[in-house]
Amino acid sequence: MLFAQITLNGLLLGGLYACMAMSFSLIWGVMNIINLAHGSMMLLGAYVTYSLHVRTGIDPILTMPVSAAVLFVLGYSLQKFVFNRAAMRSIYMTLIMTFGLDMMLINLNLALFTADMRSITTWYSGLALDIGGLRIAYTRLLAFVIALLMAFALYYFLKVSRTGRAIRATAQDPRLARVVGIDAARIYGVTFGLGAAMAGATGSLITVVYVFSPVIGDSFTLKSFVVVVLGGLGNVPGTILAGVFLGIVENLVSGFIDAGYRDAISFCLLILILVLRPNGFLGKSSYAVSRA
Amino acid sequence: MPFRAPSSQSAPAAPDARRSAGGRRTLLVALTLCAALIVLLLAPFHVSLYWQRVISMAFMFATLAQAINLIAGFAGYPAFGNVVFFGLGSYAAAIVMVRGGSFALGIGVAVLTSLVTVLLVGPVLLRLRGHYFAIATVGLNEMVKALASNWGPLTGGGMGLSVPLPPWGPAESAQVFYYLLLTTMVGSILIAAWLKVSRLGYACRAIRDDEVKAEAMGLRTTTVKTAVWALSAMLTGVVGAIYAYWFSYVEPPAVFDMLIAIKFFVMFLLGGAATVFGPIVAAFFVEFVSTVIWSNLLHYHLGVLGLGIVLIVLYMPHGFMQFVRDRGSLLAVLFKPKG
Repeated sequence: MLFAQITLNGLLLGGLYACMAMSFSLIWGVMNIINLAHGSMMLLGAYVTYSLHVRTGIDPILTMPVSAAVLFVLGYSLQKFVFNRAAMRSIYMTLIMTFGLDMMLINLNLALFTADMRSITTWYSGLALDIGGLRIAYTRLLAFVIALLMAFALYYFLKVSRTGRAIRATAQDPRLARVVGIDAARIYGVTFGLGAAMAGATGSLITVVYVFSPVIGDSFTLKSFVVVVLGGLGNVPGTILAGVFLGIVENLVSGFIDAGYRDAISFCLLILILVLRPNGFLGKSSYAVSRA
Repeated sequence: MPFRAPSSQSAPAAPDARRSAGGRRTLLVALTLCAALIVLLLAPFHVSLYWQRVISMAFMFATLAQAINLIAGFAGYPAFGNVVFFGLGSYAAAIVMVRGGSFALGIGVAVLTSLVTVLLVGPVLLRLRGHYFAIATVGLNEMVKALASNWGPLTGGGMGLSVPLPPWGPAESAQVFYYLLLTTMVGSILIAAWLKVSRLGYACRAIRDDEVKAEAMGLRTTTVKTAVWALSAMLTGVVGAIYAYWFSYVEPPAVFDMLIAIKFFVMFLLGGAATVFGPIVAAFFVEFVSTVIWSNLLHYHLGVLGLGIVLIVLYMPHGFMQFVRDRGSLLAVLFKPKG
């Protein structure tokens, strides 16, 4: 029973991991940028939700469009004015630059919202569904469902819509994309904006599940990375599967071995997968760039 | 995408004019180096303890930046998580000294630990490239950090370890560490200078420019990469050991701190990859700037440093040395023969 409960909690957490990894994967796969500011962008979204909730009492879930919009503007302008100019040159530059960005965002969050740990308590926070002795917290269930919905929405957007197809085309070959009339610079802007928006919306989701402060962003970034590598860059079903897998493994390790080894285990997994199956679980990618 | 080595001669000139200019340049460089060394050797007698500490810190980071230059600059493998060897070195020294070993033994064990770690993980991790290698090394750092935080009996766990204090008074102790770190830095410069002209160095650059071709030419790429990473790791480990004795306290979040890694990575990038003096000059520059920012803008130093990094990448993507070279070497401007 304990085993089932822990696995279930891991599964629900995994949905969030999958969602945060999706936007990370999008930016990485299309532009070859490892966005080290990913976690801080999520936290910015979380703080947008937090301020709205404190001022107006609005439900955190309903603020998701707002934080997504704020982050979209931020992401689009960053790509347009900063990354398009410099960071596409080499991986050293992208890593360093996004880390500089991360430092600025952490400082911004610290200055605006202080280092206090925050969380949001809604009217349904303490309630849980009871299925044959297994307890499912409503907040986690809600976060899980919305996270998966967002992940699938992104998947279909990329697959079906005109912009989505342009994004995939640009990821595969920016030069040929230009030949058929796609404005690559604009697509990069939209992609980064979209990735940031989704990070912001995920940030809104975590406010009901996690206790957060401006300095915990790095762990989200690293987890996103692990999930993307496990699932295969650009492979959406793989990413979702990997997110759920990581959530379950992490919960089992901290439940049955030692919570202190939780992160170590996820990195062991990371290195194992990198060496044994460099293309991820499912081994096939849908929009990843071949350069790496 | 690896860095291209900055071309040493950018201005086309007549052969003998170039030779005499080159000769003059070598002389100037040698004179500058001697002057710098003398100034640094005498400095502890003329500056306050505070500045002595700041300069010692600059030595430390200069060595770390040079160490990352060996693997990332020469061989093109961005070992982003190289700070793991800093942590390993400081823990190795701390553990030895807590059990009554001498500082020299501590340094020896630190070097050995770094070497063994690279020999164990190097051949595996060095199969990865680019982003994957970079983040895998970060993962290695996180793993070792988790191990250090949880292996209580050996490492003291999250409480950290208190290293026995040096037997000297504060002023002498500051001088000892000053000279120790200065020596380490000079050593790191010599290693880089040697690598620049040695077979191993050429092999590294061949790998950086095109690994497949290098392998086709018969280079044992894995051996070369592991060797140069081991060199970088041992240097980083030595600095870690000195740090442990200097600060007399180690704890996992302090010595496995990714911010340290970022700092020396920025210094290395700013200095220019695969140059001998670039990372050193950049380390001094960054260390002094960040000290000034820290002491004047305590609440915003993180943001200001971040902004600085972004601006550097935007406007000096090929580093400090190349930035100066592109604008007609400062030396050349200052010492241009008349007419």
